[in-house]
Order: sequence, then C-alpha cells, then structure tokens
Amino acid sequence: MDDLKLLRDLGGELEHDPPATLARQRDRLLRGGRPRRLWATWWTAGLVAAATATAVAVPTVLIADRHTATPPAGSQAVDMSGTRNVLVIGSDTREGEGNARYGPQMTAAGKRSDTIIIVHLPADRSRATAVSVPRDSMVTIPACSGHPGRKDMINAAYNAGGASCLRKTLEKLTGLPIQHTVEVDFAGFKGIVDALGGVEVTVAKPVDDPKAKLKLPAGKQVLNGEAALGYARLRYHGDGSDIGRIRRQHQLVFAMLKKSMTMLNDPARLKSLLGEVRKSVKTDLNLESMYELATELSETKLGFVTIPWEPYAEDKNRLQWKQPEAAKLFKSLK
Amino acid sequence: MILQAATRGADSELVCASWTDPEVFAELFDRYSAMLYRYVSKRLGPEPAEDLVGETFLVAFSRRKSYDLAYEDARPWLFGILTKLISRHHRKEAARYRALLRAPVDSDIESPADRVAAGVTAQAVRAELAGALAALPAKDRDVLLLIAWGDLTYEEVAQALGIPVGTVRSRLNRGRRKVRAALGDANPMEEE
Repeated sequence: MDDLKLLRDLGGELEHDPPATLARQRDRLLRGGRPRRLWATWWTAGLVAAATATAVAVPTVLIADRHTATPPAGSQAVDMSGTRNVLVIGSDTREGEGNARYGPQMTAAGKRSDTIIIVHLPADRSRATAVSVPRDSMVTIPACSGHPGRKDMINAAYNAGGASCLRKTLEKLTGLPIQHTVEVDFAGFKGIVDALGGVEVTVAKPVDDPKAKLKLPAGKQVLNGEAALGYARLRYHGDGSDIGRIRRQHQLVFAMLKKSMTMLNDPARLKSLLGEVRKSVKTDLNLESMYELATELSETKLGFVTIPWEPYAEDKNRLQWKQPEAAKLFKSLK
Repeated sequence: MILQAATRGADSELVCASWTDPEVFAELFDRYSAMLYRYVSKRLGPEPAEDLVGETFLVAFSRRKSYDLAYEDARPWLFGILTKLISRHHRKEAARYRALLRAPVDSDIESPADRVAAGVTAQAVRAELAGALAALPAKDRDVLLLIAWGDLTYEEVAQALGIPVGTVRSRLNRGRRKVRAALGDANPMEEE
C-alpha cells in the first residue's frame, strides 16, 4: 500500500480547475492596489510616441454630433474650458442600418451598453484619464425615467433609461459631474476605424470565433473596421472575462488614438475625419466643441484605469466596486 | 496591454526584469496561477482559492526585490508564500477534512471512468485519509502535502519553508507514518 499514491489520488478528487474569474486576480496584481499603476506602464510600454496626441483623439475619434440637441440659442464662441467629464458609451443597439447583421433585431429588447468609459479631462489638461466601468458591476441605480431605484447591473440603467439614466447613475455613484455623453454603436465604431484607414494591433493568441464572426492570426496586424469591431466584441477569448475584453478595447482605443495622431497636424484631414465620425456617433457635443477640445488637448497624455472591483458575493458572474479604492479613484479625479 | 510572446526563460529572469518593468511580473501569474489554484483548492476548496492565489502574487510582487536570483524556479518561493497564507485558514482546512469523514463515498459528479482512473482505492479509504490529515500537526501536514499535492521535491520544500532538508525528511516520515497508521498499517511504529 503506497500511502503517498493514495494521498495524491485523494488530492485529485478534491481538486478544482481554476475558473475564468481567476483572471481578476491577475488584474489585481497589475493594479498592485494602486489604481493608477497601469497608467505609467502604458507609457513605458513603448507607446510614448503617441503621448502628445492621444487624449486629443478621445474626443476627436469618439465624439460627434449626430442627433444633437441644437446648441442653446445664441451660444457664441465655444467654451470648453474647465474640468470636463465625458461619458463614452459603446452600445449594441443592433438597430438601424448596418447593425442588423451583428445580431437579431433588438429594438424591442432595448439597447445594451457594452462599453462604458468616463473620460476625465482636468482643467489644466495636463493629462486625461479614461476610466473603464465594468458592465457587470452591481450598483444602486437611482429612479429615472419612470423606472424605480434598484440594485442592478450598471448597464441595466442604460437598457432601461438610455444615456441620460446611465449618466445620472454614474454621477450619483462617482460624485463626478458628467458634462457630455457620447454614444457609439457597433456600426459607428466600424465606420470610425475605416475612416482612420484601419488600426494596428498585436493579437496575442489566434482568434477563431464564429460568434463574433472573426478569424485572426496571432501577431501584429492592421484591422479594418469590421475586424476591429469583432475584436472589440470578442467575449469568449483568452480567459473569457469581461475584464479581458475591457483590456482588448483599451488596446483598440489606443491604436485608434495612435492612428488619429497622424492626422492632427493636418487640420483639413482632421476636420474630414471628424465629419466622418459625427455620422457614426450620437452626442451632445457639436463639431466646434470637439475641434476645440481636440486642439486644446494636443499636449495631453492619456491614461487608462478600470474602476477597482471585486467579485460580487451573491453572484460569481457579477462584480462590485471595491471600496475604499473606488472612492479614492473618484476623489483623485475631482 | 499585450505581452510579447516571450520565449520561455527562467523564472528568475522574469523576477529580475520585473524590478525595472513591474508588468513583467504578470507573466509569472500566467505560468503558475493555475497550479497554485489547484493546490489550494485541494486543501481549502474552491471558494477561498481564488483570493489566496491573488494574494500570493501580491505578496510575491511586493517582495520581488528580495528574491534570490540563484533560484531559477520560482515555484518553491510562491508555494512558501501560499503555505503561510493557508495557515491562517487552518480551522477551515480541518473542517474540510472532517467533512470528508462524513461525506458519502459515492459521488455522481465524476464519471465511473474518472473514478477508476483517479482512485477507486483512495475513495474507499477516503475517510481514513481525511481523518489522518485533520489530525496532523500543521508543520507536518505542510510538508506532506507540498510533496503529495504540490509535487515539490524535498529540496524545494526545504526552500519553500525555509527549513533544512533533513527537517523536511523527518517531518515527512512522521506524517506518512501517521497516515499509514490510520490506514491500518500493521506496524505503524516500525520506524520509531
């Protein structure tokens, strides 16, 4: 009788395979308890070249004024000074021309926010911070547009009440006033990437995902709008977590910023890009404000952070903001 | 944030590189988090395992500058940190083994094929094994399980726990003797 073998067998029985959520611990490590740490490493990662222009591009690339409320009557020269927080929502409305291909018509089912980012622009514009909000976050949603207040996943605020409800929810949760919102839907995102002439990303592992209609080899490559969209939506890839997806989206946004930088010294091209962009997104910023913001931000650096979070006890597939770290992050943005 | 497809170098090189480029440390996580998770899941079950693995790497990260680069393999170092963290949960661990004493032997989660492959015999004596593990002093159990469940060598266990190899041997022998005794070995005292 081999006691060690019996023990090993018992171990085999008791053993569990690591769940996909283990990736959260990797994120925790990268944050190192300090939510801003990723900020520095983005730059040491050899992307310093993009520094001067990246933040410019958040508004330039992602912002336009389709469906804009008309600017208040008599508004004169655009004043975009002071601290600004811009809520960027990537949504999968899947309605409208060009979107139906990516999934069943969801008009009745409402729209879902897939990507939620608050771009914080401090008054001195020395640097900008893009704060990603995991869509699986369980939060308290205040009463809004006829929907009662409740505890739910944050993107439920958008599904039910649209951008204004999500904005209200985030203002309440973060204590940050949010001045502008930008909604980009899937088709819009695609159009922007194509207007940029494609973006270059490095794909870590080959992708073959019929669900996202995407097949990519590993390695550095230029993605067109269609491929970039698939890459941004990819869910069942890598560790399969939403956090992994957020990381890929950061990567894409970054690539877009880098590409749009090449257009900045050329006002004519910049304007034409913005013109293209405005067709694809929905925002309360008009073209002049965007342009103003864009040029103002040309010396600004952009950092990415994700709101500190931890697993949500009642449901392993959800998460909640980690306190006091999250509160500290918002405080640093005031 | 895409890490370069690194040609696999020694762990010590990664630790060293992480001194100047902290993000490199994540590569160690990619190498060993699953292995550590499996180990904790055996001792404490799946719920605390995730958090403990995360904590192990946080502690390791904060101590990366005192890592002895002479050791190419970082596993003993990580297991050492993890063992300390597990020791805070000793009540939970003992309760887990005691629960096995009571649990019915049959489990329909595993297929019969798995059972044949992974331990019909271990299943038959599960209660005895669990009882013996629950009764072991923590120091002896750490050594025994690092070898049986962590697949470390004597030298690696010594390194992980910061004790001489001779001590590893004596603790291991003591632990195994008790396990054999629990299994009804005719001569439990033979080596004493």
